[in-house]
Amino acid sequence: MDNSTILETRDLNLWYGQKHALIDITVRIPKKTVTALIGPSGCGKSTLLRCCNRMNDLIDSSRITGNVLFNGEDIYDGHADAYAVREKIGMVFQKPNPFPKSIYENVAYGPRIHGVREKGALDRIVEESLKGAALWDEVKDRLHEPALALSGGQQQRLCIARSLAVEPEVILMDEPCSALDPIATGKIEDLIIRLARNYTVVIVTHNMQQAARVSEYTGFMYMGELIEFDETSRIFEDPGEELTENYITGRFG
Amino acid sequence: MTGKSLSGATTVAVAGILVAFLVAAGCVGGQPSDSSGSQQITVTGSTTVLPIAEKAREAFEESHASAGIMVSGGGSSVGIKAVGEGTADIGMTSRDLKPEEAAGYPGIVRHHVADDAILLIVHPGNTVDRLTLDEVRGIYNGTCTNWNQVGGPDTQIVVVGRDSASGTREFFSEYVLESEDFVKTQEEFNSNGGIQQKVSRTPGAIGYVGLGYTEGVKALALDVDGTAVEPTLEKIKSKHYPISRPLYMLTNGEPDGLARQYLDFIMSGEGQEIVASVDYIPVQG
Amino acid sequence: MKKEQAAPVPFRGFGRFRRPEAGIDPSSAGATRQLVDKIVGKLLFLVALFAIITVFFIIVFLLRDGYQIVLETGVWSFLTGPDWNPAGYNPAYGALPLIVGTVLVTALAMVIAVPLSIGTAIYIAEIAGPRTREVIKPAVELLAGIPSVVYGFFGLILLTDWIRIAFDQPSGSSWLAGSILLAIMAIPTITSVAEDAIGSVPREFREGSLALGATHWQTIRMVVVPGALSGIGAAIILGMGRAIGETMAVLMVTGNAAVIPDPITDVFSPVRTLTGTLGIEMGEVAFGSLHYHALFGVAVVLLVITLVVNSAARLIVSRMQGTARPGPHRALTAVASRITHAASAPFGRVVPPRTSQRGAFLLMSLSVAIVLAALGVILAEIVVNGAGAITWEFLTGTPSDLGREGGIFPAIAGTLYLVGGALAIALPLGIATAVYLIEYTGDGPLTRSIRAAVDLLNGTPSIVFGLFGFAFLVLFMGFGVSMIAGQITLGLMILPTIIRTTEESLRSIPGSLREGSYALGATKWQTISRVVLPPALPGILTGAILSIGRAAGETAPIMFTAVIFSSRHLPSSLTEPVMALPYHLFILTTSVPGASAQKFGTAFVLLLLVLSIYLAAILVRRRYNHAKVM
Repeated sequence: MDNSTILETRDLNLWYGQKHALIDITVRIPKKTVTALIGPSGCGKSTLLRCCNRMNDLIDSSRITGNVLFNGEDIYDGHADAYAVREKIGMVFQKPNPFPKSIYENVAYGPRIHGVREKGALDRIVEESLKGAALWDEVKDRLHEPALALSGGQQQRLCIARSLAVEPEVILMDEPCSALDPIATGKIEDLIIRLARNYTVVIVTHNMQQAARVSEYTGFMYMGELIEFDETSRIFEDPGEELTENYITGRFG
Repeated sequence: MTGKSLSGATTVAVAGILVAFLVAAGCVGGQPSDSSGSQQITVTGSTTVLPIAEKAREAFEESHASAGIMVSGGGSSVGIKAVGEGTADIGMTSRDLKPEEAAGYPGIVRHHVADDAILLIVHPGNTVDRLTLDEVRGIYNGTCTNWNQVGGPDTQIVVVGRDSASGTREFFSEYVLESEDFVKTQEEFNSNGGIQQKVSRTPGAIGYVGLGYTEGVKALALDVDGTAVEPTLEKIKSKHYPISRPLYMLTNGEPDGLARQYLDFIMSGEGQEIVASVDYIPVQG
Repeated sequence: MKKEQAAPVPFRGFGRFRRPEAGIDPSSAGATRQLVDKIVGKLLFLVALFAIITVFFIIVFLLRDGYQIVLETGVWSFLTGPDWNPAGYNPAYGALPLIVGTVLVTALAMVIAVPLSIGTAIYIAEIAGPRTREVIKPAVELLAGIPSVVYGFFGLILLTDWIRIAFDQPSGSSWLAGSILLAIMAIPTITSVAEDAIGSVPREFREGSLALGATHWQTIRMVVVPGALSGIGAAIILGMGRAIGETMAVLMVTGNAAVIPDPITDVFSPVRTLTGTLGIEMGEVAFGSLHYHALFGVAVVLLVITLVVNSAARLIVSRMQGTARPGPHRALTAVASRITHAASAPFGRVVPPRTSQRGAFLLMSLSVAIVLAALGVILAEIVVNGAGAITWEFLTGTPSDLGREGGIFPAIAGTLYLVGGALAIALPLGIATAVYLIEYTGDGPLTRSIRAAVDLLNGTPSIVFGLFGFAFLVLFMGFGVSMIAGQITLGLMILPTIIRTTEESLRSIPGSLREGSYALGATKWQTISRVVLPPALPGILTGAILSIGRAAGETAPIMFTAVIFSSRHLPSSLTEPVMALPYHLFILTTSVPGASAQKFGTAFVLLLLVLSIYLAAILVRRRYNHAKVM
């Protein structure tokens, strides 16, 4: 499994001020798979996700120990660059957050900031990314209309297209369907499974059926600790820990 | 219940500010005014005349404990207008009434309380000590632009004067310039203090001000028929120093009551001493 | 449904609020609620009309006295006449040099102020740590509190000297000096309002951009600033209003020669602005003379220019918003993005993003440094020269010997009365107008005219307010020179600032909050008063703070309406005149030779007073900000 690990944490601890939010997390995320993180609210799953592309840097009071390795390199190392890390490890948020620009400009934003300026190249990237996010057919005739005119599900797929456009290796998704209806959710889930052919996806979800449907690996977190991490089928059919079993059978959370 | 939380929230916030004002002003408020019963007059107008009115008020109120005299500036025309409209009891002006004003307020009575001399001032570092009236005219109408044309250093002359509504400028224009136009690049200020500040900091500048404004500047002597006449009190009084003009207080009709007493006080010996003490030329005695 | 969410208030069932038999017909309680709602709406409407009425009166009073000059000279030759020489042997009333002077001085001031302000605003909102922010933000706001007379004398003493020596000119009084001074005066206004706008760009936009690997600077440049464009536009309009309307400071440093610079780019040429003309000539001009009418004509021209500038700016801002619908109010258009692109292209193309970020942050730190240095120099000048004059007697005594002796207590109290009264008048009016504009109406012709009226008021020079106060309140209404006349005049002057800042902060409250309240059956007024206004308070307070600073330091509006030079007493009623610090300072500096220590002492006290007001207000605001975060 080692050579196929893309993202790995070692004894990762994180504090928000006095609050110890992540405790000794050690986990390896395999390449080109979908990994789900589940657990009750406040268990630290979103925090762990945000550690993986240094979005937690934005919170002044956060403090971190341990390592997060991306392709064997520590992303918190002194000379590692948070911006470069985020270029390689994209993120999709709970609430769709397209910029108040056109659909085209939203997708072109990433390539532009990374130095792509030629119109033809941008057009190609926009088209490919939108196709990759299964949105192209719905928006190809109105690329220059405002992104905020799209429906919630379309907006979220646009956000996915937006991250695809910078060609990341990993896409982190923080409850990407929690604001969407079942049909939109279904589309995103299909998309996630398809994305795993070329990308590594880590998804935080509240919805255990969703984890079961889309992921190959699942981690269960509880009160800042990673209780169990294994193949999804095992977690749901034969969990090794009682806590995990209690959670997935709905006894708490 | 409607709006209760608004008033709650806003009050706290606004109170923070308002209380800071009203309470602060209220608590420290030492002497409450006792205007009831006592007589009050207001004096307003030219800031040139204001020092006379103000110093006279201080002295006058010492001997008339119940009198309340309120002095404010604003300019000659404010003084004329206020007296004409009846919003002030006494007006002050450093210029005579314009025909429009005299026509609009026929009841206005002038009281000539003092004279003001006009000094020509330059930077203290300037080597020029005296000018003839012709040279001054040349400087102000723009034919003379460098100090070396009047025996000074090779420095461009920065011409500084009063604004076009000023009585001082009007007088200067008539007396010195003989109604020629001022040079267009003349820098204009609306107060003696402004001109004094400007000249004291600009090596090439020349300006004209009232008698008191000599701090940090050099007052020039006027060359009258070959003799230098310094602007001393004596020489101004004896009219040897040629540039001076009258200052007036105004009332609507003949004054009575407190206004009468106050004006009489200014015209008295004690009042005229006050006039001299604030650097104007007494008209009596 | 089975599991209860933790609610802040324990749920006690519906019975507590509503009788079971009540249907959806309005019960009597409901009817009262709706009645209140209706009445409040009508009241707010009436208040909002107030701005229009005021503008109407100002225009009527200006035209009443100004139209004769046009009868005399003709519109065209008044506007384009090359000579302004009312006291000449052949009087000439050509306003062209004055118009050109105003345009030049304001334009250069904006060229200086806008980059510095926006740089500073971005630095405060995006780059500075919380501790740095809490020092810089109030420091910048403090700049707004320095009275214009103080700026003027600072300019006369230091700035013009510096220009004269540094550029080897015969005189430092110049277009450049005026522009620098106006820039310093406009910076706090632009910075504060722009900073609020930048701060209210939603966090999700930032995160979305950062998650794509954008640098902090790329995020600021391409997402945050475009998102805050409408607020930044408003900030610039406000700042420009302050610059165009400034009288007392600008007339002390521009030299006031009514000439058009030759060549037109000669920044060292003396110039004369429209406001400067009013400022230096209005006090002495003969009422009813042609010169007097000409000055009112100048005031009308000034108003028209203000109106044109404001409308143009407003149009630009609304264009920018228009194309990005339905994004509620944050907007970016292709135009704006092209501008930002073009502006940064030479930068971004050659230089890698990280280097350009370093460069940009350096520039912004530099602009903060320049702003703080300006503040430092002015403060040092006042403190060094003024602290020595401060004694107990100076603070508590009454003036004597023309202010060369004694104290300034009546002036301190008078200023507090005037500003307190102005705020008591303007704050309720301003908040009510803003609430009406944002919450009650769409974008109809009426709203547009109210907004235009507010803009016009904002651009109306303080000296014009002073003239209006004198003509309308003192003479026409018969108040006489009195405290109440001054309070109303000052109140009118600060009204637009309060309206604009309140509007901005109401706009930043997300619509979902209102919907959440309506969904609980709250009426409009309940929603506004309980849900919308409380989180908008910090923004409203910013407006109030800026207004206090402005009102406390103004001379022109109270000069003809409310003040006396000296008094032994505090006023016992609203109809008596008062002393005031800025006016006292003005007289000491212009008409009392040999009162230098008292002059700086008065400036120092005025500054301390404004500073403590600011401090109190900033503390209140900080408390609210914390409460909002919790």
